[in-house]
Amino acid sequence: MLVLTRKSDESIKLGDDITITIVEVKGNSVRIGIEAPSGLRIYRKELYEKIRDENFRASNLFMDEFTKINKALRSK
Amino acid sequence: MIKINTSRFGMLEVKEEKVIHFASGLVGLPDLNRFFIIDHKDTPLKWLQAVDDPDIAFIVVSPTLIVEDYSLNLDNSVKQFIKLENKDDLAVLVTMRVDGEDVIANFQGPIVINSRAMMGVQVVLDRPEKTYQEVV
Repeated sequence: MLVLTRKSDESIKLGDDITITIVEVKGNSVRIGIEAPSGLRIYRKELYEKIRDENFRASNLFMDEFTKINKALRSK
Repeated sequence: MIKINTSRFGMLEVKEEKVIHFASGLVGLPDLNRFFIIDHKDTPLKWLQAVDDPDIAFIVVSPTLIVEDYSLNLDNSVKQFIKLENKDDLAVLVTMRVDGEDVIANFQGPIVINSRAMMGVQVVLDRPEKTYQEVV
């Protein structure tokens, strides 16, 4: 992993289109500003992983699961 | 017409205009850029079937069927990404799965679709309006 030291208000460029700016450092948290093309999806990593895992689990269901889900919705 | 030999539904033919384009795929599945929706007869459930992977299909449903007052605020960047200009063109779906005895809907990663442009994206919400896993 490339590790760089930056101070508040300093930035890093990733290629031509992406700029990451250290907005504020306070205790052990860092506020980060990201400028990137709108097509680039940006996530907090733990949320990304949560949704990714959820997608993997939800992407391979078959009819018995379908029946359970349908039944649960009907009982709403 | 696109012909797809799906693992659940056998050989299907889909009109090109029925294909929804996900430029960034779904989260964790960045290479699956084309999906289509199959209504499941006599149920409110639908299948979101990948064009480019016959095994991948999600059970999806409108979140309003689970939560009556469901609302979703989309960032402008998301609207731009799916070229959404008119709110009426927006369709929202949540994936569902079974976890033991529970039925779970993924409210934290709703799939939003511009049904006019047939473009979609999965949104990852920091704080979903409803809890992450709404147990039906």
